[in-house]
Amino acid sequence: MDKMMKKMGMLGGGGGKRSLKPLAKPVLMLIAALLIVMAFLAVSGYDPTAMLIGLKRAVTTDIAGSIRWAIPMLLGGVAVCIPFKAQAFNLGVDGQIYMGAVASTVVALALPANSGFWGLVLVFLAGMAAGMVYAMIAAAMKVYCNTDMVVSTLLLNFVAQLFTEYMAADVLRDSEATVQMNASKLLPESLWLPRLSYLGPSSANAGIYIAIVVCLLAAFLFYKTTLGYEIKIVGSNEEFARYGGMKPKSVILKVMAISGAVAGLIGVIEVTAVQHRLIAGFNPGFGFDGIVVALLANNNPLGVLLSGAFFGILKNGGSNMERATDVPQIITQVTMAIIILSVSSNIVIKKIKLKKRRAKNGTAV
Amino acid sequence: MANAIELLNITKRYPGVVANDDVTVCVQEAEIHGLIGENGAGKSTIMNILYGLAQADKGVIKVFGQECRINSPQDAIGLGIGMIHQHFMLMPNQTVLRNVILGNTPQKGLFIDEKSARQDIEKIMKEYGMKVNLDAKINQISVGEKQRVEIIKALYRNVRILILDEPTAVLTPAETDALLETMQRLKKQGCTIIFITHKLKEVLAATDRVTIMRKGVVTGSGNTSDMSIRKLSELIVGREVNFNIPFENYKPGDKVLEMKNVSTTPRSGAMAIKQINLQVNEGEIVGIAGVEGNGQSDLVEVIAGMVPMAEGSISLCKRDVSGLDIRRRRIGGLGHIPEDRLKTGTSKVCTISENLMLNKYYSRPFSKAGVLNHRKINASANEMCEKFLVKTPNASYQLDTLSGGNMQKVVIAREFESAPNLLIAAQPTRGVDIGAIEYIHGQLAKLRNEGRAVLLVSAELDEVMSLSDRIIVLYEGEIVAQFMRDEANEYEIGEYMLGAKRQEQCHG
Repeated sequence: MDKMMKKMGMLGGGGGKRSLKPLAKPVLMLIAALLIVMAFLAVSGYDPTAMLIGLKRAVTTDIAGSIRWAIPMLLGGVAVCIPFKAQAFNLGVDGQIYMGAVASTVVALALPANSGFWGLVLVFLAGMAAGMVYAMIAAAMKVYCNTDMVVSTLLLNFVAQLFTEYMAADVLRDSEATVQMNASKLLPESLWLPRLSYLGPSSANAGIYIAIVVCLLAAFLFYKTTLGYEIKIVGSNEEFARYGGMKPKSVILKVMAISGAVAGLIGVIEVTAVQHRLIAGFNPGFGFDGIVVALLANNNPLGVLLSGAFFGILKNGGSNMERATDVPQIITQVTMAIIILSVSSNIVIKKIKLKKRRAKNGTAV
Repeated sequence: MANAIELLNITKRYPGVVANDDVTVCVQEAEIHGLIGENGAGKSTIMNILYGLAQADKGVIKVFGQECRINSPQDAIGLGIGMIHQHFMLMPNQTVLRNVILGNTPQKGLFIDEKSARQDIEKIMKEYGMKVNLDAKINQISVGEKQRVEIIKALYRNVRILILDEPTAVLTPAETDALLETMQRLKKQGCTIIFITHKLKEVLAATDRVTIMRKGVVTGSGNTSDMSIRKLSELIVGREVNFNIPFENYKPGDKVLEMKNVSTTPRSGAMAIKQINLQVNEGEIVGIAGVEGNGQSDLVEVIAGMVPMAEGSISLCKRDVSGLDIRRRRIGGLGHIPEDRLKTGTSKVCTISENLMLNKYYSRPFSKAGVLNHRKINASANEMCEKFLVKTPNASYQLDTLSGGNMQKVVIAREFESAPNLLIAAQPTRGVDIGAIEYIHGQLAKLRNEGRAVLLVSAELDEVMSLSDRIIVLYEGEIVAQFMRDEANEYEIGEYMLGAKRQEQCHG
């Protein structure tokens, strides 16, 4: 991967200097966050090493669980960072995940039970299309009515969530199930995305390959395509983009479409590989996790590969910690919050430094 | 005469550059001292050191013979040194009076003593012959008046030494004359003035002595009476400067741009244009003169397709482009150097090569089926940097590592490389130094000599007059006069610019 990053001229950015320096900061911040959490645990009377025990299990005996969580983290990170590069904010990844899940379930249940590979492809396309369309509602409102996308995408989440509950609890509800729950019928087995059986029985599934490919494709999009160039220009100076004859509005529509499709993919994978049915509350907020992943990766899709994997491990480490010790899983949320704080404070510090330097230099040189 | 200011052997280093290397500047009492040099020559640095915005690494500052340390602008004002920046530091929605007393307010108990403040200010205005309406809000007064407010503000703080940082860059010729007059009056009253400018004519007209800097060192100083434009510019640039723009004979060819009764819709913040009829032919430079804010922006942007047209028609190379979008107009042969290179013309956080490929990233060989060819792009960008003398190690550096003049060269390189039939050059030399101006003017002339059409918009009347084959004067969004080269002098054109006169045939 390092070779690939070099090839794409990403590490070090500007003067062609390449080093591991850009990685040092996030790693330091992560270590700092873990130390703070450990101190926090010690003060609260828990075993301060509980977090480490959980994390250790997450990378050794329970690597499969980490893979299962890394899939939505990776895809969520990509779904957030693509529009962010164009200065469009998609806080509606969760809603798009829900819509993707609903659409794929509907299609999967409508298909004949033995439709196999091509049926699965159809299910995937349906979920991605639903996520895409749902994201484009907010994008179209932005482009044609100048609605603030932060607000519209956020509010559309609730619509999608309630719609999913309605679909799971009513329209698609499995009335013959022995245990009644707000869930659809099981999908026919031929439409299940295969799990990684070589890791033993777990929810780790082939979605991880899809997620990695999506990260690589996103990197390709950003650094190697004309659309990626347009995204960068629109994101850095919209007036400049317009002056050069680009259409910033169409770029916004495109990035939101791609973002929504990637988000929809999360829904499809959760349904076809993890749950095998539509369950009302299947999404614990992958969209917002995606924001943290993208933030830590500095909106670099190859960085998402690392930060998404890390958060997968962290999340799984949390459940392992709960299982192995008496520390509640909610501690992982605290860890994530601390990471967000340290990342965003880093941005603020950078700005203050810049300001100070400007004030010092005045207009000189 | 005693020295008001002595900056002795000042050295100031910034990471990677020596901004001032053993610089010595002496300014006598009650003189106007010109400080000139290219962007990045170190003028601003030495003045920031004097004004307390930066501290010298080495050297001695003496004010009225006393050695002193100046750590902040407050210290400087305390010593009687005031600085007036190019960008005014005024509160737009407050009155002139309140702006003058801001930070130095006479008080009566808890209240502002406006009455005594008014008396003091009126006394200053009378003494120095400056007139401003004290009750007008800052956003209602002209640029020239704002500058006067800044000067009054300084005098109100008992400043005896005034630093004027490029004060004329934003003024019309008439306002410039008024400022130079004010400077003479201040001098008669015993004020010392340090006058930073790029315009050599002003230096010769207004200053008593002059110091010239280049690349952080003083390259010359002396009495202005011993200097000439040629000598000054050689000291500034470090070589002979060619002022004679190589123009071939004026032989205009076919119509390239034709505007018929073009109007735009008035919006806030921009003067709309009204019923503009304009034609630009092959092999000519048409210059638009006018005080800024008289419709120049709309005129340029309506041609470029960035502002919608309310009525009329525009054709480019005999093809109606009224309904075409920006990109199609650009493909149809339009180049555009925008007036604001930072807001419109570049993206600071992108690399130089990303800035250079804006017009061609979507076409072969730079991309194929939507996939960029970075090798070709970088090769072409480096080539353009070399050809257009952009000072950078290579094109993969971020744009904001460049100086203003070099950024402008990037814009020019990009717009020239697409070989436009019509080039709109809006404020092409704003804020760039003599060397770059010489270069940009040469490039514009070359384009014209090659038989292409150039529409030049500039706030610098000198620039319009020296480059244009035809001069068009814009006032309140209308064309009020038209001259051929050398048909009118700057004062005549100035009258049309201010709306005092208008030519009959230009109506409608």
